[in-house]
Amino acid sequence: MSWSADTDKRGQEPSTGEPTATCELDDNVEWLRKTDVFSSIPLERLRVYALMCNRRRFRRGEFLFRQGQPDDKGYILLSGKVQMVREYENHSVIVHDLEAGAFFGGLALLADIRRLFGARAATDVEVLYIERETFRKILRQFPELTERILDVMIKRIVSMEEKILERHLHECVLV
Amino acid sequence: MIHKKPLWYWALTRCRGLQAVLLVLIVLTIFFRVFPLEMQKRIVNDAIRFRKIDALYLYCALYLGAVVLAGVFKYAINVIQGYIGQKILYELRTGLYRHIVRLPIPFYRRTPPGMVISSVTGELASVGDFLGGAIAVPAVNILTLLTFGVYMFTLNPLLAVLSLAIYPFEILLIPMLQKRFNRLNSDRVTTTRKLSNVVGEAISGIQEIHANAGYPLESRKVERLAKALLDLRHRMNLYRYGIKFTNNFFQSLGPFLLFLIGGYLSITGRFSLGALVAFLSAYEKLYDPWKELMEFYQGYQDARVAYRRIQEAFDVEPEFALEPVNRPPVALQGAVAVEDLTFEVEDRVRLLDHVSLSISPGERVALVGLSGSGKSTLAMVMAQLYRYTQGHVYVDHWELKDLTKADVTPHLGFVSQYPFIFDGTLKENIVYGRQACLSNGTPSATSEADEPALEEILRTVESVGLTDDVLRFGLNSVLDEAREKALGERIVALRRHFRAQWSDALQDTVEFFDAETFLDYSSVAVNIIFGYPTEGGRPCEILPLRPRFRRFLQEAGLDEPLIRLGLDTVNRTVPLLRDLRDDPFFFRQSPIALEEMDTFQEIYEHYSAATPERLPSSVRETLLGLALRLVPGRHKMVVVPRDLKEAILKSRSLFKAYCTQRDPDAFVYYSEEAYLGARTLLENILFGRLKEEASWAWARITDAVVALLKRENLYDTVLEIGLDFEVGSKGDRLSGGQKQKVGIARAFLKNPRILILDEATASLDMASQNRIQQILDGSLRGKATVISVAHRLETIRDYDKIAVMKSGRIVEIGRYDELLEKKGLFYELVRGHG
Repeated sequence: MSWSADTDKRGQEPSTGEPTATCELDDNVEWLRKTDVFSSIPLERLRVYALMCNRRRFRRGEFLFRQGQPDDKGYILLSGKVQMVREYENHSVIVHDLEAGAFFGGLALLADIRRLFGARAATDVEVLYIERETFRKILRQFPELTERILDVMIKRIVSMEEKILERHLHECVLV
Repeated sequence: MIHKKPLWYWALTRCRGLQAVLLVLIVLTIFFRVFPLEMQKRIVNDAIRFRKIDALYLYCALYLGAVVLAGVFKYAINVIQGYIGQKILYELRTGLYRHIVRLPIPFYRRTPPGMVISSVTGELASVGDFLGGAIAVPAVNILTLLTFGVYMFTLNPLLAVLSLAIYPFEILLIPMLQKRFNRLNSDRVTTTRKLSNVVGEAISGIQEIHANAGYPLESRKVERLAKALLDLRHRMNLYRYGIKFTNNFFQSLGPFLLFLIGGYLSITGRFSLGALVAFLSAYEKLYDPWKELMEFYQGYQDARVAYRRIQEAFDVEPEFALEPVNRPPVALQGAVAVEDLTFEVEDRVRLLDHVSLSISPGERVALVGLSGSGKSTLAMVMAQLYRYTQGHVYVDHWELKDLTKADVTPHLGFVSQYPFIFDGTLKENIVYGRQACLSNGTPSATSEADEPALEEILRTVESVGLTDDVLRFGLNSVLDEAREKALGERIVALRRHFRAQWSDALQDTVEFFDAETFLDYSSVAVNIIFGYPTEGGRPCEILPLRPRFRRFLQEAGLDEPLIRLGLDTVNRTVPLLRDLRDDPFFFRQSPIALEEMDTFQEIYEHYSAATPERLPSSVRETLLGLALRLVPGRHKMVVVPRDLKEAILKSRSLFKAYCTQRDPDAFVYYSEEAYLGARTLLENILFGRLKEEASWAWARITDAVVALLKRENLYDTVLEIGLDFEVGSKGDRLSGGQKQKVGIARAFLKNPRILILDEATASLDMASQNRIQQILDGSLRGKATVISVAHRLETIRDYDKIAVMKSGRIVEIGRYDELLEKKGLFYELVRGHG
């Protein structure tokens, strides 16, 4: 899922621990706005997504999800670093390093799939996640959003394919 | 067999002692009923006529005494009669039920539960009512009639004959009407049963009805039957009251004759006035026993109809005897041989067609095939659930259909795809099989004769992978008083160890109770009290209603800020959720429930910009209630301002002082040194709360808690508490996987020689499935014959034998690899699954 390596570092990282004047919901909205999938959604709708998201912390070395396993969540990295890892028979490759603000694992929101990569916490991390059931329920409530979200998702898949094709061109130069 | 006995059998053979007492009482009552008549005559003829005051007093006193005694005896008769009826009904009902539960499975394919329920409850009750008076009522009334008849004869034979002459007409006429009534009554039983079935079916299928909005369809079914009942009842009433009318008419002809002839005789001086009064009274007294006889007759007819309908409905024999006669139950070793077995159901549909299969003790055999191939039927025949007629099934060397339940069930475990879970505790469900063997007096050969010990149950629970669930049930339970007494102190002692060792590691998962910290994962109300009300109930619901608590909030200066917080919450929540009311899903993390939206939307529309002082007091109260129930960690749209948090923290000690002064027992305050009776076991161990109920949070907690509990020797105790978890009706508080595991544990606990699994692991995840498979491969290997109807073919690789079935026949048989090489049906099935 290398297409999900969206590392947008605009803006300051909102603080997540200490109580502040903004609530967790507002905070979530800010994070969502910074990802390409959600950025085009009108604010009042976005607040519903923000409400239905949850936060979770992982320790360094823990897996958020594992390659080949089913998982039903899309993630936004709030703090720390996450590595996308592809495992082979006897070695594994880090495909991507993700930083705060990255949205990843989003394909699981569209379909029940097995993970092509694993996601491992490289440091202690905090993520914001949304589950497929929730995601779909919101789309059902506001069907007008479906088109926008699908558009972005498909663009991401296309750009990922482009990257893969490019790599192939480099590897097997003109047979 | 209970259902074969005629109705009268019960009246004549049961409670004979009481029936005798009853008859004696009846004879006495009759005497005391006639006695006043004699007094009447003497008062008129003797006392009044000769002006004897003393005699008048005496006769009147005797009269009164007799009337009182007759009343008391009548009361006793009614009570005894009712008791006899209910006692016989008890025997009938339990006996009938014993018969009903043993009836074969195919019987229940064609018999809906509603009909069975209506037979055992309503229909049988009318039989009981009748049986109580079956002897007494006719005896008392016929005797009374005779007595009065004789008395009337002694007064004047001619008058007696005349006034009794009307009865033969009635005796001829009434049974004719009753016969028609009975026919309708029988129809009514049929229709009532249909009605029970329709209602029963609708309730079982309520999900389907809701999903399709099939309300009018269902209502129409009931309407049709209700209409039919209305019609039947009406026609029944025509006959029933027709009988009453006939009866009354003839009865009132009597006095007419008496006055005419008796008056004539009296005027002509051939009959004394006193005798005429007594005669008239006697005639009047005939009416009651006659009426009672009529009612008895009608009750008898109703009971006869109901009883006959029940007899007809359950006139089926159980397929297998319960216990062997003249020999002890056999001990089975686990060999099964099916020879040329053919199994047909109605209309000669052949589910098994000349099947032969031989299984040695301890072998593992899989039955596979597409659905409808007969694999489940074969498994059920081998489990003695169906009776076969053609071919043989030998268990060891005994023909299975000739063995009794006592021979087979202690050695046989059967797990169906959806094991039934009974309402009760988890433990009761797990030990069900063992308990049944015990209550049948047939303990399994391989297990102890008494109830399974806790260790044995826990071992089984562990082997089916249910331990984590049981632990969770245990930790989430609120202890009852006895257990709290036994464990409370030990749990409190654990807290310190737990904190010392785990507080850092669990910082993300647990919020520890701390008097100096605002608790984000407890409600604002709990944050103020730092405890809970002694008499139970949720503090955030109870407190706002109490004037004393309101006064405290005002004194502590919390009133206004909390109302402001409530209003702020409304302003943030209502616009967010008002468009999403059609799905309760979105209200899961909302402090405002779906059904409260109207109230709060109104507040939002009118007062969203108002200052707290200007709100009407009812709105202030509502907002205060909302603020008090906020859980800031869960309700994401809420911000509790920092200064409010600080004010709440400061108010804690004030509140405690305030309440201790006025009502010291009203609250239990969180204290590290005391067990908190209203909190769960886990919260007591942690002295804190889980921040999230998600499974990952549980996984982290479990590691920590289990280590501690094991060290303190409390682990098994907590599991024992978990086993007392109430699973709900049909186990609806358990997940599908949990139910399945309970079913498997139920069978494992019997240590069966033969274990039959009918797609028993189909609803388990891979890990649990592998775990069960390991038991079958490991500890049960060689000890039990395993016959497994398998859906997932990768689980049966190592089986000794795989029988591949198609249209009721075994078409291939062999080991996994052999069958693959054959490239036959099995190969197809495996490829299809891959």
